[in-house]
Amino acid sequence: MSLAIDLHDVRKVFGRKVHALRGVTMQVHRGEIFGLLGPNGAGKSTLVKIMMTVVRPTRARGTVLEAPVGQKATLARIGYLPEHHRFPRYLTGRQAVEFIGGMTGMDRSACRRRGGELLEIVGMSEWADRPIGDYSKGMMQRTGLASALVNEPDLVLLDEPTDGVDPVGRREIRDLLLALREKGMTVFLNSHLLSELEMVCDRVAILVQGEVASQGTIDQLTADSRRYEVLLDGPVPDWIDGLGGHAVVAGERIKLIVPGSDPEVVQPVIDRARSEGRVIRSVTPVRESLEDLFMRAVRDPTTGKVAAPGARIGGGKAGKGGSK
Amino acid sequence: MNQVLVQTRALALDAYRELNSKRLFWITLVLSGLVVACFAAVGINDKGLTILWWSLEIPGFNDTLFTPATFYKLIYTAFGIAFWLSWVATGLALVSTASIFPDLVSGGAIDLMLSKPISRLRLFLTKYVFGLFFVGLQVAVFSAASFLVIGIRGGAWEPGLFLAVPIVLVFFSYLYGLCVLFGVLTRSAIAALLLTALAWLMIFVVHSAEQVLLMQRVSAEIRVEELTKSVDQMAALENPSELMQSRLKDRRADLAEAEASVPTWQRWHRMIFAAKSVLPKTTETVNLLNRALIDMADLPQPPEDPTPRSGPFGGPGGNMRKTQERMQEIINSRSVWWVLGTSLLFETVVVGLAAVKFCRRDF
Repeated sequence: MSLAIDLHDVRKVFGRKVHALRGVTMQVHRGEIFGLLGPNGAGKSTLVKIMMTVVRPTRARGTVLEAPVGQKATLARIGYLPEHHRFPRYLTGRQAVEFIGGMTGMDRSACRRRGGELLEIVGMSEWADRPIGDYSKGMMQRTGLASALVNEPDLVLLDEPTDGVDPVGRREIRDLLLALREKGMTVFLNSHLLSELEMVCDRVAILVQGEVASQGTIDQLTADSRRYEVLLDGPVPDWIDGLGGHAVVAGERIKLIVPGSDPEVVQPVIDRARSEGRVIRSVTPVRESLEDLFMRAVRDPTTGKVAAPGARIGGGKAGKGGSK
Repeated sequence: MNQVLVQTRALALDAYRELNSKRLFWITLVLSGLVVACFAAVGINDKGLTILWWSLEIPGFNDTLFTPATFYKLIYTAFGIAFWLSWVATGLALVSTASIFPDLVSGGAIDLMLSKPISRLRLFLTKYVFGLFFVGLQVAVFSAASFLVIGIRGGAWEPGLFLAVPIVLVFFSYLYGLCVLFGVLTRSAIAALLLTALAWLMIFVVHSAEQVLLMQRVSAEIRVEELTKSVDQMAALENPSELMQSRLKDRRADLAEAEASVPTWQRWHRMIFAAKSVLPKTTETVNLLNRALIDMADLPQPPEDPTPRSGPFGGPGGNMRKTQERMQEIINSRSVWWVLGTSLLFETVVVGLAAVKFCRRDF
């Protein structure tokens, strides 16, 4: 599969001490929804800004839409919604979307047609001719999303797209992102809302203190945590250790935990419990949530402490490191 | 359509909308219209000054002193340009445009602009030029209205009036360049405006100091010339009386004193002139319009004052009219290229610094 984003050793040092990015290597496939996660100050926005030429990298190799990182001409094929974006207050929503379209080089009639369609899609057609100064945060986000898509981009980078949007709007935006993927567009999402990312992302990367802590599909990243949980009545069985699992007391019942994703691993446990005449209440395949995965990525495995927010001062090695 | 043209059109439309949203732009335009209306209301005839249908008789001030055409051109250059456009309208225009760059580089707005397929330098220069363009529009409207007033009321159809458009625009651009630099550095419209006002004041102070020192220098030189002439005449007398000999002695002492003062004034003037040379010449730039429009011979001349006297600040004096004439000669001898060239060089450096900062900065 060809790559929409292929970054190698992207570094950014602000001043001489603040190492915002410390050798990021990341691949995003064409036609997928990719989520970038990380605690505050991990370098997510800096990475996006480097791709969009807003921030100049200290060092960067790689390509965006098969052109070198930082090439201005490529930006005509990319849509971008910055975090805390601010359109001039004197523009109406429609004018803002058309202005962004004009800046990407679209002719006026195409901007008008496409802008009108997108404002309809994001639910802003009734407010399109009102000044942006009158908009709420959620309305700004919807208008920003329309402006990011006005040039019919091959790749769209959205930094916190649902920030300030109500639950109905979030659902609509999620559906829109899935529809964009259906059309073959690559979507790069930067968000703190892990549950939302989990619902739409094909692949994710977790950035911690300027380094990629882990990267892959959610299934790949949670493979180690996959298990079966067997809920049954009776005392704690003494044979569970021998079958590779362990038991925990769950109220009046016993929960047997068997690591692995293959259904074969749980069959001996079920057979043994049945042979003892125990009542099996449930057998559930379980995997780690994205939030669990995230917390595991940002927690230092030796100290158990969560990584401090913000970029790393100085060039030393971070507690977590390396991409999968 | 070509991408560059599409982007330029989008930026032009945005610049128009931005200024249109600022009431000050329209207020300035309306005030300029009122100034021209006042200008049209004033006239001169054989009895004196006229204001609308009233006549104000002023002895000695009538159309024999100035032709109506010269009268209107004088009002246009001395009030319309030197006061209204150069001070009031420029101040208002600076207030209108001071926020263009701070708004552009503010967080959330700059990301939207830099993430588009346009180079930072082109974005910077396009915004800069459109800021100037709308000020040019105001001057053009003012000049066109003044052209009609001078033509209809003064009977002189003077296309040279439109020289005000480039001249005032160049004058404004010196200050606007500073405002842009301060705006990019501080990201604050208020800070940019205050720093520009401070720089403008500094330029004005240097200009005024140069004028005072030039006057002192010229005055001292004229006094030396006159004393030399006087001493030569007295020394040429045959059999001078004792009184004359005493006066000759005094004059020689005065001459020695005056000659000693000339190098001092020349040195001070050279120093301030060097400082002025690297700064934008705001007053001289505006005065270029006087050079083009007003023939000094058309203006009434002040009476001759033959008495050598002390100059201002206790310096060596001389004939004031001669001093003024010689100062004017010196000022007029400063070429247009010196006035505009050094000023535009200053502006280029200032705008260049702003552009470098804008192009290299992480936002």
